[in-house]
Order: sequence, then structure tokens, then C-alpha cells
Amino acid sequence: MKLAKYAKFRAEKFGGVLFETRSEKVFALNPTGAAIVREIGTGCEESRLIGRMQELFNDSGEAIGPEVVAFLANLRKHGLIED
Amino acid sequence: MASNATGGAVDSVLTSATPAATGSGDLGAPLYIAWQVTNECNLACLHCIEESGPGKAFRDELNEAQIFGFLDQVVDRQIPYLSFSGGEPTLHPLFFRMVEYVCARNTQLKIETNGHGLTREKCERLQRLGIKAVQVSLDGASRETFNRMRVRGDFDQAVNGIRNLHAAGVPIEINYSPTLFNVHEIGLAVDLAYELGAYSFYTGRTMYTGNAVKTWHRLAPAEEQYAEFFAILHAKSDEYRGRMRVHFHEMGLLEELRYRLHHPAALLIVLPNGLVKLINALPFVCGDLRRQSLTQIWSNFQTAWQDPRVARFVEDLAADPAKTSSLHQWVYL
Repeated sequence: MKLAKYAKFRAEKFGGVLFETRSEKVFALNPTGAAIVREIGTGCEESRLIGRMQELFNDSGEAIGPEVVAFLANLRKHGLIED
Repeated sequence: MASNATGGAVDSVLTSATPAATGSGDLGAPLYIAWQVTNECNLACLHCIEESGPGKAFRDELNEAQIFGFLDQVVDRQIPYLSFSGGEPTLHPLFFRMVEYVCARNTQLKIETNGHGLTREKCERLQRLGIKAVQVSLDGASRETFNRMRVRGDFDQAVNGIRNLHAAGVPIEINYSPTLFNVHEIGLAVDLAYELGAYSFYTGRTMYTGNAVKTWHRLAPAEEQYAEFFAILHAKSDEYRGRMRVHFHEMGLLEELRYRLHHPAALLIVLPNGLVKLINALPFVCGDLRRQSLTQIWSNFQTAWQDPRVARFVEDLAADPAKTSSLHQWVYL
């Protein structure tokens, strides 16, 4: 899993932005979304991503897993990541 | 948390890539820089909003050190998207060095050209460098209309250039400016763009500025022609859905500028001499790359939109639409 060829990420004070330059669409990300995209950018495997987010956000429960999965599905739907 | 990680998929960069649209504070830098690298052009188009043409390069266009200094800032500030336009950008003596510099540093680059210089070799080189797209102006589906509008231009040469891009595997966009004498060809022009391998087609109302001020009586489509024009575009947009994107702005200039006053796009327009405009359709300048950093100019840009002179100019346009003829008389904010 990696960022799509035309998806460009930039960190911002509020989190980050993903700019899909082919369609010229912009997606605003909150800090959690930005952290996920940053991890994808470093090559983090999908199977490790939930654990990594739990570490980053000190989440010992089960809450973050479904949200990460839903977020990845959203990124795929918009063509922002590719496998 | 992550459930709200996408603050909402938003529209195109021109309508929503703004601090207001992100709703989470200011962007630290623009998302898109449109750089008119030279005002020199091999054509002398009737409608050119920049008054470009042969021998029309500005005397004070950025020099080599200024150019690469600016590009370094674009890379450092992680501007994801840059375009080179003009004039005719491929005529700039440093054109390929600039393209190579940008593409090698992970910024996506689009070239906006009249396509006349796109030889097979140049297209292959652009493809190898990893250009994001080349946008070619093709204002007509026939030699008769195109050549009338693009003085010194040649329809076949532009089409050959597009074919060379396609053969080299360069992503193609087509831009179309409607006028009194080509507006009826819009459907055929969209079909031609698709046939030539374009993935996007752009059009909108032709502006009353630049060369168009002198030629308006020969150019301006009537409102009923525009109505038909946009109706065809709606149909073509549906017809090509999933195969080629057909983008068009129906909004009139005044409506667009009123919207921008409250929702400025995260876009800087850089002129060949390094001056930075708020938006192409206003005369206001918010910075000078020869004297200020991109960071300073971005900061100026964000406050300049609130300058009362900007709102006043926009409202004056309502009373006098011909004020757009003065867009090249720059006003420094």
C-alpha cells in the first residue's frame, strides 16, 4: 500500500492536506488522518497500521481499528492510495 | 479521531482548497502555483488575456538565479502542484532545465502550451521527465476557426503536437476559449479532444481583457450562444463520464469574483517578472519574488483579499464590466 502517483500530502497545523493533482481535488485531514497518511508514506504495511495508530494515540481499546479501516476505504474510494 | 479524519472530500482546488474550506486554520503554503514563465509567444491570439505575442517578453523577466531560487522555495515549501504557462512557456531558453529541476524534486508539473513546438522528441523527453500533464489550447474543431483565432497559428500543427504527446504517453488536457466564430463547434471540439487522447477538457467564458479588449466586437458570443454552449457541455460531460473529464465554468466573472472574496483559492499567480497576483481576473499584486520570500508573499496573499480596494474593484465591475480592460495596470497591495 502506498500513496497514489498523483496524491501529494503536506502536513499542516490542523493536520494535513492531500491533493490529488490529476482530478485537482483537495482533501483536508485532521491530525489522525494526517498521521495515517504519513505512516502510509513511510511504507507502513496495512496490517501494522492499526497497531501503529494505537501506539501513536495511546489507544489501548478497540476504538481506533474500525476507524482506520474505514478511513483506508475512503482513501481507496477517492483513488488516493494504491496497493 | 479517525472517524473524522477526512474533513470532507472537497471540490476542485479552485473552489475549495482554501483555509475556509479546510475549516481547520490556515494553510501554511499555497497548493498550486500558476507561473507565467515568459510573456513571449510565437502566436498573437485575438483573445490572449496576457497580451502575449512575438517580441512581447517583459524586459524584467526573472533571470536564471531568480528562477531557480524560486523553484527551490516551491520545493522547500512542499507546493504539490505547479504549472508553467505564458506566453508560450516552451520558448523560454531554460524551459527543459526548469522542467527537469521541478520533476526531479517531486513537485507535479503541468505545461500549458499552444502545442506548436511539440515535436516527437520533445514529447518523449517530457514523458521521461515525468511531467504530470500538458494542456494544449485547441480553440476550434476545424482549421478555419482555429487559424482565425490563433493568429500565426496552425490547426494541423497543434493537432500534430497533441498526437506526439499521445504517442509518447504524456497525459493530455485540452483548453478551449469560446468566441463568436467557434462557439458552435464546442461539441465537435470535445469529441476531437477525446479522439486525440485527452483525459480532461477545460473551457469557460472568454474574458474581456488583454488582446480581447481590442477585438471584442469580433469575439464575444451572445448570451443565447453561451446558453447553447453550456447545454452542449452538460450533455458532453455526461457522454464522456468515466472516459474524459469535461470541466467548464458557467459562472460569470462577477459572480466568480464575489465568491472568491470570501473563498480565495490556495493558488498564486506568478507573472514573468516575479510579481504575484491575487487572481488573474483582478489587477492586484500581493508580492514580488525578486524582493520577498514565498512565505512572506503567502502571508500577504491571505490578508490582501481583505483589503477594501479589492472588494471595491469587484463591486465596481458590477456597474462597469469593462473595468477588466485595466487588469494589466497592476495595483500593489
